[in-house]
Amino acid sequence: MPPWSDFEPFIVSGLALGGVYALSGVGLVVLYRATGVLYLAFGAVGALGALTAWELGQKGAPGWLNDLVCVAVAAAVTLGYGLIFGPALAKRDPLVKAVATIGLTLVLYGLMDLLWTTSGGEARSLGLPTDNGGFSIGQIQVNWTQVIGLAAGVVITVGTGVFLRYTKLGTAMRAMANDREITATLGVPVRRVEAAAWLGCGVLAGVAGLLLADLVALDATTLTFLVISSLAAVLIARLRSITLTFAAAIVIGVLHDLLTPITSLTNYRDMTPFVLAAVGLLVMPRSRVMTQSREEA
Amino acid sequence: MRALMPKAPRATPARRIRRTRATRATIVLAAVIAISAAGCSSSSSSSSGSSSSTTSTSTTSTASAPASTSAVSTSQCGTKPGVQATGTPIALGAIATNQPGTSFTDIPNMAAAYFACVNANGGINGHPVKLYIETEQTNPAQIAADAKQLVQTDHVVGIVGNTSIIECSVDSSYWQKLGYDIIDSGIAPECWSTPNSAAVNMGPRYSSDGAVQYALAQHVNKIVFDQSNVPGTGYIAAGPAALAKAASVPIVQLTENVPISDADSVAIKEVDDAGPDGAVVLNFTPPEALVILQAAQKLGLEDRVKLWGCSTPCNTDFLAQSLGPKWNSKLFVNAELLPPDVTNTATMNLYKAILKQYGSAVSGGIGSFSQMGFTEAEIAVHALESVTGAYTVQSVNAAFKAVSNFNTGMLCQLWTYGSYSMHIPNNDDSTVTPDNGKMVTAQGCTQISSVDPQIAQYRSLAGTAASAPAS
Amino acid sequence: MRATLIRANLIRTNPQNATRQKPSLIKAAVIAVLLLFTLFALPQILSLYYIDTMTQVAVYSMVTLALGVLVGRVGLVSLGQVAVLAIGAWVAARLLFATTQPYPVILVEAGLITMAAGTITGLAALRLRGLYLALITLMLAGAITVVLATVNFPNGGHGFLGYNGSLVHIPPIRRPSIASTDPAYFRYAVIVAIVMFALAAAHIKTKPGRAWAAIRQSEPAALAAGINTTLYKLWALALASFITGVAGGVLAGAVHYLYSIDFPTQDSITLLAVTLMGGVYSMWGAVVAALLYQFLPALLNNWGVSADWLIILFGLGVLQVLTTAPAGLADQVPRDLARLGRLLRSRSRSRSRGRGRTRPRSAP
Repeated sequence: MPPWSDFEPFIVSGLALGGVYALSGVGLVVLYRATGVLYLAFGAVGALGALTAWELGQKGAPGWLNDLVCVAVAAAVTLGYGLIFGPALAKRDPLVKAVATIGLTLVLYGLMDLLWTTSGGEARSLGLPTDNGGFSIGQIQVNWTQVIGLAAGVVITVGTGVFLRYTKLGTAMRAMANDREITATLGVPVRRVEAAAWLGCGVLAGVAGLLLADLVALDATTLTFLVISSLAAVLIARLRSITLTFAAAIVIGVLHDLLTPITSLTNYRDMTPFVLAAVGLLVMPRSRVMTQSREEA
Repeated sequence: MRALMPKAPRATPARRIRRTRATRATIVLAAVIAISAAGCSSSSSSSSGSSSSTTSTSTTSTASAPASTSAVSTSQCGTKPGVQATGTPIALGAIATNQPGTSFTDIPNMAAAYFACVNANGGINGHPVKLYIETEQTNPAQIAADAKQLVQTDHVVGIVGNTSIIECSVDSSYWQKLGYDIIDSGIAPECWSTPNSAAVNMGPRYSSDGAVQYALAQHVNKIVFDQSNVPGTGYIAAGPAALAKAASVPIVQLTENVPISDADSVAIKEVDDAGPDGAVVLNFTPPEALVILQAAQKLGLEDRVKLWGCSTPCNTDFLAQSLGPKWNSKLFVNAELLPPDVTNTATMNLYKAILKQYGSAVSGGIGSFSQMGFTEAEIAVHALESVTGAYTVQSVNAAFKAVSNFNTGMLCQLWTYGSYSMHIPNNDDSTVTPDNGKMVTAQGCTQISSVDPQIAQYRSLAGTAASAPAS
Repeated sequence: MRATLIRANLIRTNPQNATRQKPSLIKAAVIAVLLLFTLFALPQILSLYYIDTMTQVAVYSMVTLALGVLVGRVGLVSLGQVAVLAIGAWVAARLLFATTQPYPVILVEAGLITMAAGTITGLAALRLRGLYLALITLMLAGAITVVLATVNFPNGGHGFLGYNGSLVHIPPIRRPSIASTDPAYFRYAVIVAIVMFALAAAHIKTKPGRAWAAIRQSEPAALAAGINTTLYKLWALALASFITGVAGGVLAGAVHYLYSIDFPTQDSITLLAVTLMGGVYSMWGAVVAALLYQFLPALLNNWGVSADWLIILFGLGVLQVLTTAPAGLADQVPRDLARLGRLLRSRSRSRSRGRGRTRPRSAP
């Protein structure tokens, strides 16, 4: 077992990784609470935005414009999907709605690989102005983008929690996610609320996509399926508590990196999210909510 | 519990309207995708460079070479300049991996470009060469099927340009049974350990040997060898392990699952394990190696070890540009082929000219991949030109095997196929290092040490090839 | 409601069984002819490239069958079926290298061990339902994929794992002595698939099938009717794992070499997509799904078309199935063809009647 000082740098890098998981995880739970849909295409939509931003950057457009375009693309795709397939699937099981987003994921993934083909020796990368500059903790340097990634997770957690709970629009969203028809009979403008929810979710996905493309890699496969590891945090929080999702994601990231110096376990460290999710789901007490297939927000 | 699917739909009008809308939307979505994919696919030539922060934004994928002295005419590739070959085609085949994240199609595509040049300038005794390229996604069933397609349906008489993570393992007994002696750019162990495959490159094991050898020559006191977790890691690791053991230097063997999503922890681990007088040697594809090195730089770790090393895949100008000046003379990359930027020979210029004129399908531009494709095609053409009579499986492959002490102009040594039970014809290499966006030579051609038992075995069979004079 | 109960075989529709016998006889005859054609004629017609592809279709038709049973009959969505296939293949490969047992024995052993693994996992996982269950299968699949990446598939080495990393010549996984050539192995795979389909059909038509239908309709109602839902759900998982394990064994012999990179987690997602597209309510759907999953990519690869178009098609297919055609292609295509036939017949009839009335056709 390595000495404690060996673990220190991994705590820092683990926090950064946890921030990455938190971005997707929190985004997924927020979307679920607002629309009732587990938006598995979150990563793919963000990747599409990031790749579009990269493409514009290659053509010489300024960085800030590309970032805006990234968010806009993600928002547009998400809004489009929500407006078309939201009503069609509104009455169905959350499982069916989630599987439908898998359909969107596959469409986007195939499209991205077609448009931005893999070449033999090259890779794309997307940088942000905050990449240069940072500070040191102990022996390693932390750059501002990593800080922003973590901070964004916190801001989204707190902000959307407050929004969903205390604002009228947020409450309407939660009601709609719970039962669309009853909410409509209460006089809530369902279509507009729905559009607002999906639009907000799209913006979130775009911002997350931008940060993840910088923090992880600008690669369609990596970004699209990063959502699988982020699902672990989402599952531990039972798709309900945004704060718990954030905390779980941080724990997963830190634990994952802390396993790195342990030689016997290091090759298995990528299992951390999955093992924790399985343990969290199977060991924690069964709640009444589980016996119904329509999960409540 | 509600069923996953709805019950047999009794279509109420509202539901039908919604469903019709959804169906229409799906169709529209499909149409939009088709149009956009068709329209935009031309703009997919990828190149490096971040969109907003750093200074260098290279927009083309071909690195600018030093102004070559003579504008070489591509017609030198063939025997009858300007004469289009019109005889019966000679069919050759190639299998290359092409999947998201890993694409080796540049290699057979460059070979095809060379053949196109030859076909436009006389062909092989008037016969054009046609290269059938099959791509695969690292699926053994698919790879075996591709081989059968080439032989049974396309009736190829030779295999030139194979580049695949596992093809040599899957097909070697098939090629052996049918009598095909393939010229390839190998990766899997069987590309070097079987009688029916001879590679123009050194592959991950021997290239890593070269990188480790260079590090050992700089008197590091520890080696950390980290590679991607794709098939063959044990085989690859055995080479560096033998070298380190012979030099009495401890070696730590690591593997990483790719694609890497936590490059920070990988970089920290490598640096910690190596120590200030150690070396970190990487064996990854360029994108993954870049991610690790960039993470090391972001964390401020690049100076915490004595040097960094990398096997041949890192030898691209794209990597040199993306890394920036902090890695000048810090990263040492093993170069299986002569570096294009600093080699101004006739063959190198011909390669660049053919790439420019015929190599539109080669997305990576100048670099080791297209160099390998060029070299394989060059050897094949040289062999085919010696065939008298019909071009059959027997005659063509006998000609391939008979290639002996051929100066490819791209390698450190003369290249021989020969009738040996194993083939490592390229076992002499140089080392390059980034220098402000280009790869420049750090150490000239050096033999891979016979401490690696496989190298020793090959040299006992085939001897040591002579160094190639510059041409 | 009535339609579903009929579908669940809980009530009979037509008291005149005699008129129902004729269509089922025709159906059986059609199936028999198709099977004979597949076994004897196809290997002669197809090139080796397509024979190898069709062998993969046979293997994956068993996997999509298992997934279809889970999703369509019981309502359990599994996002980790490829990981189960990997386990089956691993066990079969280990046994094939370590022992000289005959192939069918090894297939059964692989199936049984995979079944045991699936059932034990199910004991814990079945506490969850719906979306949670699907996601937990995804998590488990992710974990298994990571383990496999480190442990690797057996390649003739010694020890429990049977993996020797430094081999320069990897020995191929053996095939049964009667089926060593590609066409012969194709027939072997088809026969094994037929046996698995028969096994699934036997389950569906008897008590487990009825219990599953009841559970899929409404689990509380099934519980109230006295059905032991946990037992039957476990039974479904056991059956699906067994079939997939056997498929893994057949896969091992088909490909000769197994690599962990061939079983990525995202393949389970694509597998679910094609299973939904093919149709989870009929066994033909499993064959259609396997053709989509293995035959179409091989065809496109041959034509030089990128496989990405297929991924897009699968995504669109999932969306379409879930919103408009719940029973998938296997149900939709015959219905569409029937509708087309009716349309053509009514057109020709109205034309032969001359100008005149054409009654608007109501949708079926």
